[in-house]
Amino acid sequence: MLSLKNVKKTFTQPDGSKTQILDVPEYSLAAGEQAVLIGPSGCGKTTLLHIIAGITRPTSGSVKIDNVEITKFSEAVCDRIRANKLGYVFQTFNLLPAFTALENVMLGMTFSSGRASSSRARELLERVGLGHRLNSRPKTMSVGEQQRVAVARALANRPKILLADEPTANVDPANQQHVIDLIRENCRKENVALLIVTHAMEVSNQFSRVDRLDQINLVVANARGVA
Amino acid sequence: MSLLKIAWRSIQHRGLGSLLTIISMALGVMMVVSVLSINGLVSESFRSNSSFGYDLIVGARGGGTQLTLSSVFYLGKTVETVPYEYYLAFCDQKTRAVEFRNSIAVRANTEQQRAIEALNSVRTHPVGGGWGAIAEELAAGFHSRQQIEFMQIDERGLFSNYVNFAIPILLGDTYQIEDSDAYFKACATNKNFFELLTLSNKQKFTFAQGRPFDDADAEVGYFGCVMGSAVARASGKKIGDQIKVTHGIPGTSAAHLHDQLFTIVGILDPTGTPNDKVVFVNMEGFYLINDHVKPIEEEVGIKFGQNDEDEAEQEKPAAVDEPGVELTDEQLATVRLPVEQRELTALLVSVYDEEGFGITSQYLQQPIEQGNLASTLSWSQFRPLQAQTSAQCVNPVQEVAKLFAFFVAPAKWILLALTTLICIVSGLSILVGIYNSMSQRHHEIAVMRALGARRSHVMLIMLAEAILLSLAGGALGWFGGHTLNAALSPIVENQTGVPVRFWDLAPPEQIFSLLQPALGNSEFAAEIVKFQMSPELLLIPGLILLAVLVGVYPAISAYRTDVAKSLGK
Repeated sequence: MLSLKNVKKTFTQPDGSKTQILDVPEYSLAAGEQAVLIGPSGCGKTTLLHIIAGITRPTSGSVKIDNVEITKFSEAVCDRIRANKLGYVFQTFNLLPAFTALENVMLGMTFSSGRASSSRARELLERVGLGHRLNSRPKTMSVGEQQRVAVARALANRPKILLADEPTANVDPANQQHVIDLIRENCRKENVALLIVTHAMEVSNQFSRVDRLDQINLVVANARGVA
Repeated sequence: MSLLKIAWRSIQHRGLGSLLTIISMALGVMMVVSVLSINGLVSESFRSNSSFGYDLIVGARGGGTQLTLSSVFYLGKTVETVPYEYYLAFCDQKTRAVEFRNSIAVRANTEQQRAIEALNSVRTHPVGGGWGAIAEELAAGFHSRQQIEFMQIDERGLFSNYVNFAIPILLGDTYQIEDSDAYFKACATNKNFFELLTLSNKQKFTFAQGRPFDDADAEVGYFGCVMGSAVARASGKKIGDQIKVTHGIPGTSAAHLHDQLFTIVGILDPTGTPNDKVVFVNMEGFYLINDHVKPIEEEVGIKFGQNDEDEAEQEKPAAVDEPGVELTDEQLATVRLPVEQRELTALLVSVYDEEGFGITSQYLQQPIEQGNLASTLSWSQFRPLQAQTSAQCVNPVQEVAKLFAFFVAPAKWILLALTTLICIVSGLSILVGIYNSMSQRHHEIAVMRALGARRSHVMLIMLAEAILLSLAGGALGWFGGHTLNAALSPIVENQTGVPVRFWDLAPPEQIFSLLQPALGNSEFAAEIVKFQMSPELLLIPGLILLAVLVGVYPAISAYRTDVAKSLGK
């Protein structure tokens, strides 16, 4: 479902010098598989997720989603692939404050090829236990509720892969497990591959597949080796 | 969920900011709508009032525009007067006969009195004693008989074959509301004014109350009057009330109140024309007001009217035998003024023009301008001292068009340019409103991009937001503008005679005429230039265009949003 080969990312600094921050020789995820990518801050977790989502282009390498090589396509095609095949749960939820919970979930379908269905959005919100908060706006909801809306939104477009960037970082400890359970359970139900990036051990301990980015990413690994 | 709904939600989310932006735009649009509507309606009224069912105005030589303004719109200084005989040149045989018989009767009475006076002075005449005086009177009598033959009583007027009708009007007096500074123009005319003239919509005058006055009215004699709707409303007068008119403009040194009372016999329905602000008095009564009796070159020593009761009792001429008119003794107390003592301000002439090409109008204008009307004066040795014998004949439509081209149209464009500038400033407020919220928007845009929105999507959302703000402001402004129009209607109507209703759009215009130089002279270009529509309808595309222009910068900014960077904020 997801296949990365020789993915490198180099940023140009303001002084013109180039800094490589990512060098992943190989990484893959099968359909419906659930994995956790852990690593300390600054090891390139979010950059890797952005590259997989087509938000950031790799300097070189291959990124295949559902056997489609996204690096060959234009930005507009990448946007379309992201709209149709990917779901994204952000660390800070990123719900749009102008919209109700239902509309935020529908927004996840608005840019995909399928029709934005309110019944699908309603069903997802009921599944995450927010059937009674359909018309509530984010600012009136608790942090845990907001993250549940974000999970529902990420699943709304029936993605092939769900990417979650520190999904429990801003959730209180009581709700962290609930959020992880929701994500895993719903991905399982819809046969969605799940890649969670986190540095929380209590999250990673629940997964059978845990990869360390500071080992996968040769830039960090080499730096540590040098050190 | 549509992009439009996303844009609308964004507007709602920025409630106060959006509201202030909408109000700013609404104020601009309100001014544009108000200026367009009121200016357009007043201009339209100005234009349409110049075709009141007459084609030409004949008056004293001078400025054609002044004659038109004073005769059609009752504006400005009244022009000089012309002899009443000029009116008779457009009349049929019967009308002329009645008028001339009246003059003959007055003259006969005068000569009879002079003969008596001559006999009384036989003994005192300096040349040839009393016989010399008798010889003089005999000569005068002979001369009068010659005049009578020359009057051609049984002939129709010189131009009568070319006209449907001619209506005389006399201006210069005013009606001042009692205990108030407000005054309205008075127009002396005959009943044909109400019966023959048509308004711009081809309708005749209608009466809210009462009726028109007759020339010799069975109820009020010669002293009837009709009030325009605005005058009646302002003065609170009703049928049967009596008013006095002022000579000249109240407050000026020459102004004085006439003693003669005129009885209101009718109140007109509103016409949306300057006639709403006029008091129409019976011309016959107007002539009989003492200082309206014009002096003539040869003093005949006759004075008429009820004002000088002592003299009138002694010098009252014989009653005119007018077929079909039965007057009581009391009404006969005042007798119509003879032709040679009458003057008029203007003649409103409807020409007989079956083909509708205006050829008759042109045919009439030339001889009148060349002075042919003066030949109609040759029957009488008496000349009004104040009337001008040289006349002019103007086409009011052409005069109004000239006036429009030089004054009204440029003023309109200046007003429009100012209000358009206001709209542009309001448009900029949209730009400022959106621009100020861009830092917050970049994050929202990045989230939408992460959810799959393309650059074109976020760009369209920003443009849609600008357009929605602009249209919401436009709708509010349109509503406000027309509400303002309706609220100002009494003032506008009072000043111009034109009522402005809530739903009245600005009248259609050739709005693409300004593009003519760019369009060229092709047939297609001519069709485009000829096309007429209300300029208010341009507001919708205009506002969308304005919104797109001011929305472009935020849209480009949205287009360029760095998703990865903005997501991290």
